Amino acid sequence: MNKIKTIARPADRKVTGCGECRSTCQSACKTSCTVGNQSCERIQRENNPEKNN
Amino acid sequence: MVHVFQYKDHYYIFDTGSASLHECDEKGALLMREKLGEAVDTSSISDTERREYEEDFAALEREGLLFKEEVHVWPPKSDEVKALCLHICHDCNLRCRYCFADEGAYHAERAFMSFETAKRAIDFLIENSGERKVLETDFFGGEPLMNFDVVKQTVYYAKEQAAKRGKKFLFTLTTNGLLLKDDIAEFLNEEMENVVLSLDGRKEIHDAVRKTANGKGSFDLVIQNLKNFVQIRGDKHYYVRGTFTAKNLDFSKDVLFLADNGFESISMEPVVTDLPDLAITKEDLSRICEEYDELCDKYLERIARGKGFNFFHFNVDLEGGPCLSKRVSACGAGNEYFSVVPNGDIYPCHQFAGDPEFRMGSVYEGKLDEKIRGKFKNSCLFTRKKCENCFAKFICSGGCSANNYHFNGDIDEPYDITCEMMKKRVEDGMHILAVTKNRG
Repeated sequence: MNKIKTIARPADRKVTGCGECRSTCQSACKTSCTVGNQSCERIQRENNPEKNN
Repeated sequence: MVHVFQYKDHYYIFDTGSASLHECDEKGALLMREKLGEAVDTSSISDTERREYEEDFAALEREGLLFKEEVHVWPPKSDEVKALCLHICHDCNLRCRYCFADEGAYHAERAFMSFETAKRAIDFLIENSGERKVLETDFFGGEPLMNFDVVKQTVYYAKEQAAKRGKKFLFTLTTNGLLLKDDIAEFLNEEMENVVLSLDGRKEIHDAVRKTANGKGSFDLVIQNLKNFVQIRGDKHYYVRGTFTAKNLDFSKDVLFLADNGFESISMEPVVTDLPDLAITKEDLSRICEEYDELCDKYLERIARGKGFNFFHFNVDLEGGPCLSKRVSACGAGNEYFSVVPNGDIYPCHQFAGDPEFRMGSVYEGKLDEKIRGKFKNSCLFTRKKCENCFAKFICSGGCSANNYHFNGDIDEPYDITCEMMKKRVEDGMHILAVTKNRG
């Protein structure tokens, strides 16, 4: 690549829909929620089982 | 779709289908805009340069990082209830002018939720949560600490019931900090997964709107409580959540003021009001976008100095974050998340509370109005036609249903002013991502 630099190269977007993610309205904003800045709770729990289970 | 944008002398190409972000120079941005059908002047670009860019574009496309087809799958819709916002108190010890909740009363008699009603709400949540293990409850108001005993009893009751049913509760609470004394702070620190602290920033900004019942500014009454709380909070989650209005379009100063006062997790939200002197209008938008850029610069400067903080809306997680189902599901209000007001009535979310058109039932009846639920359940990114050609759609999910309804009369009709601010924040968030990655 000569001219363009890739900053973010996401893994394929999955449609898992396990439903374990947190409700958006529980976040900080209460009026202008940004779903994309939340995290996947399942991955969080898998990465940190002691804290999250 | 592909979105080309500029942040000062930085140029970016964002591919919505793959969520890939690429940085290029001005010529690369021009050529991409030309490729997208825009009439641009590319006469300064030589044939050799053009060939090099074209090769890069083609390579990215082959890798699935450019012009990737967007996934258009409707999310699976479950009937499981995940979360409740408990309006533990429809009363407040402040009289903030911009309050969407009618200064805490929600256009009705001031009221406290009884422990009996709170218990029924917890039972309702557990009974309707299906296989879901982790449940969420938000203590909201008014000012929930005015009914602290019920908060406390409810937490203990919910934990007890959860243990019996193999579930776990995550609690949050939103407070203005006026009653946040040591014993309460200790309890919240122990039991709450997240605490949202309302503080608008500089004293004069905060005091102009957030007043006590006798009309005095509340800044001096809350600041020390909030600082003390954050100190004992350690690394547990919290957000200081401010509101900016047309009166402080220089809100980056308020965000930085909060950071300077030791608050490391900050959210600053545009006001939702129709008060003419405070409401944000289309005419304010260019100023607000400039202000987000100003904040973005300062934010990066502080990160570079090792004094970084977390600004909620600049967190754009392109490489991780929630799955696509979540991204197209909108916020979940009215289907997996509900609000319960002091008498036990259920509404789609806190912003619909008290509106008779949106009363969905009661925790004492134990069932929900399926017609209203259906409307929310079937609403998602793809029912929000305005979002179709928006690059930020998989990040904002079509915005806030309540905002959409209150401004446009339809939960699926996004409100333009909110959209423009969201897009700006997302672009700034992407720029921050690029700069921090480039710095290593």
